[in-house]
Amino acid sequence: MFCFQCEQTDRTGAVPGCAGPLGNCGKEPTTSDLQDLTMYAVKGIAKYASEARALGAPDDDAAAFILYAAFNTLTNVNFNPTRFVSLLTEAASVRDRVRAKYEEAARAQGVEPGQPTGPMAWQPAPDLEGLLRQAADVRVDAGRDIVGEDVVGLRALHLYGLKGVCAYAYHAHVLGKDSPEVFGGVESALAYLADDPTDIGDLVERALGIGELNLKTLELLDAANTGAFGSPRPTTVRTTPVAGKAILVSGHDLRDLANLLEQTKDLDINVYTNGELLPAHGYPELKKYPHLIGNYGGAWQDQQAEFAAFPGPILMTSNCIIEPHVSYRRRIFTTGPVGWPGVRHLADSDFGPVIQAAKALPGFTEDGPDQFITVGFARDAVLSVADQVIDAVKQGEIKHFFLVGGCDGPTAGRDYFTDYAVGAPRDTVVLTLGCGKYRFNKHDFGDINGIPRLLDIGQCNDTHSAITIAKALADAFDCGVNDLPLTLVLSWTEQKAVAVLLALLALGIRGIVLGPTLPAYLTPTIVNALVQRFDLRPITDAATDRAAALAGTAS
Amino acid sequence: MTAAEETPSRVDTAVESYDITLTTTDGERLEFACASGQSVLDAAADAGMTLPASCRQGTCGSCHATVTDGEYELGVCDPRALPADERDHQGVLLCQTFPHGCLAAALPYDGSRILYGGIPERQGVITALEPVARETVRLELQVEPDEAAGAGCEFDAGQFMEIQVPGTDAKRAYSLANTGNWEGRLEFFIRLRPGGLFSGYLRDEAKLGARLTVLGPQGAFGLRENGLRPRWFVAGGTGLAPLLAMARRMAEWADPQPARLFLGVNEEADVFGVPELEAVASDLPGFRFDVCVWRPGPAWPGRAVTPADALAAALADEPVRPDIYICGPPPLIDAVMDAATAADVPADHLLYERFLPT
Repeated sequence: MFCFQCEQTDRTGAVPGCAGPLGNCGKEPTTSDLQDLTMYAVKGIAKYASEARALGAPDDDAAAFILYAAFNTLTNVNFNPTRFVSLLTEAASVRDRVRAKYEEAARAQGVEPGQPTGPMAWQPAPDLEGLLRQAADVRVDAGRDIVGEDVVGLRALHLYGLKGVCAYAYHAHVLGKDSPEVFGGVESALAYLADDPTDIGDLVERALGIGELNLKTLELLDAANTGAFGSPRPTTVRTTPVAGKAILVSGHDLRDLANLLEQTKDLDINVYTNGELLPAHGYPELKKYPHLIGNYGGAWQDQQAEFAAFPGPILMTSNCIIEPHVSYRRRIFTTGPVGWPGVRHLADSDFGPVIQAAKALPGFTEDGPDQFITVGFARDAVLSVADQVIDAVKQGEIKHFFLVGGCDGPTAGRDYFTDYAVGAPRDTVVLTLGCGKYRFNKHDFGDINGIPRLLDIGQCNDTHSAITIAKALADAFDCGVNDLPLTLVLSWTEQKAVAVLLALLALGIRGIVLGPTLPAYLTPTIVNALVQRFDLRPITDAATDRAAALAGTAS
Repeated sequence: MTAAEETPSRVDTAVESYDITLTTTDGERLEFACASGQSVLDAAADAGMTLPASCRQGTCGSCHATVTDGEYELGVCDPRALPADERDHQGVLLCQTFPHGCLAAALPYDGSRILYGGIPERQGVITALEPVARETVRLELQVEPDEAAGAGCEFDAGQFMEIQVPGTDAKRAYSLANTGNWEGRLEFFIRLRPGGLFSGYLRDEAKLGARLTVLGPQGAFGLRENGLRPRWFVAGGTGLAPLLAMARRMAEWADPQPARLFLGVNEEADVFGVPELEAVASDLPGFRFDVCVWRPGPAWPGRAVTPADALAAALADEPVRPDIYICGPPPLIDAVMDAATAADVPADHLLYERFLPT
């Protein structure tokens, strides 16, 4: 096992990374190795798929499979080795289908297909032991001794950024929104990686290309979410229990939540959101269900205590699962790409077992105190009061905007983001994105002339919304985004955040503050390149960094 | 599974305390103190951790572990529950393990099988009691809703419940044959043993609607995620119960592993569970089962065969070494393990639970 894809990775050794016997995320070596092999296998599909697409013979089903398979390998998504063995078998089958399509298209155009190499020729071993032997050759740090740590680090940046892109694109895909440009972009980027690139300059430029690809992907996902559920509106959300039977839904997947809400309609069961599903309350087509009753708990790292105390079943819809404690292991269910050994997986959006469990389990016996927060300040909601905001800026009533975005996590140093937001002066506005907000979103920030000082834009999946707001403000002030009184303060944990970072860099945004640490795979050489080109700033001290931002030295 | 009276912990005059570290298969570390003369199992219970165990007197093998460091004394262990070769390799039964100093041991199950805060106790009523074969009954209980657990009954396939024998303090352990469910149903296949306490109750007193106290779920036996490696099950008699539960769970969860089950009985009058196995076969693609009768009568359509023999023959035709889950009396387990070992099935593919009568 070797894995350094997330922020929690082990940094105690000479080479940062989790090398067993257990990843810091709880991932076992077998699962980690099978995830490496899964990404190798999808590179093989991508090699043929990108060629076939270029020849006018795209296989969108194969592209969708790539998204799904890659999503399975994100941090805190699928810990179940059996599911990976099945995925590997399917990957070989998909690859063979795409190869046939490519060869047919090539021959039709008078081109003799080339001989398969590397992942194009890979055949899954018949048993787990054989697969693990194959995985040993395709570790994420393969070739470190030959190509050096900078190349390995940049390849990792590509791979992890692409995983994030795949996750976002998969969320759009399940809502029926696909794009040939995104499919093709993912295939091309993986095909490039499959050839084990070594040119550092090229790797850096292409990493920004992944950022551009993610901008398109995030726009597609925004269209998918708002197309299916409407544009979010400011919405008051209860954060305490209501007496009655209860289901908790966590993760990011709005479609799964919608399906569950429909299946529990009129059953006298309350549905609570958890973690990154909090912004769901702002969507008109979701909040129309009166039994979408409120939000329960905080960010993902608090699951074990919060889920144990929840008196009903829990449905985990996408990334952010951590090891289910025995106290709730038999009443937590996974769906989509999520998996944990011994936890029941519902693959077909039939949430009947969850509903059965909700009926059998006690539910909440009494109401909690009335406590509420407000969410739903996505692009349309914010821009509908753009004139008021712009006026407040021009009058000097709003001096600065801080976008505090990204993931929360268990590692030390994340109080920085609380200190940063809570300590922001009263003439500044804090925009939030992602689950990092749970650290301070129950704090009373007050308002500026009726404009709330804390505006939650949504999930990390809603980054397009934040970008749209920033661009609109820049247009209104006739300047570039970098010229706005805006500072981006990002916390990261996993690969989607890396994809977002690449997207923001691809937009040319400078002075992003990033923490609590930098990705372990970013070598000093890579970090220096990013600092020089984008003024990327590792966090120091919240007060110091905030003061620098307000003084205009950080953007 | 069966249970009997508990063995009192030993008490030494000079009480010392030793640090105990137990590690589960998923890396969870349990650390607690064990007094001199106290068993590791009792010390864990004193620290609020109920480890999988049943008889607590060295006869059932449910609390098996492997000592990795430290000195200890073993109390009386039935060699059928702790065979000599396992004992020679630091295999222990924690209910009979008395440390002489700090001790570390590896537990053969993951942390989810450890109960914190004691063994749950529920009340249930008998909703079905029917003979299914010679001296074998199917018992179904409906547990009553519980303030904490609600109406359902959550457990893992392979686990067991203890049932308190009405009018006594005695408890008997029986594997669950169904899967965890939200309706609160518990299903058991029970062999009626001559002179058996609970057997006597079932034979002479039990009626539909009678109330029983159940304690659990308990036990470490269960399915393991080992990729797509085939899962084979070998049952002796009512050892079918936990294996049927596992096969049913595979069907319910649509598990992808190829599965096969061998049920061994002495005579055809002892055959039971066939309708249940046929139901699994219709729900679980690729599942097949063989009923092996050791001493069949002339009407039996098959030949005389033990499940160990049937397993050996099947392994000869199977290119992949499956995981083999075994449950039944010790002689069956030993015979099956010998057959599997002879067919080069690695030791870590063999998962078993011994049924020992009391």
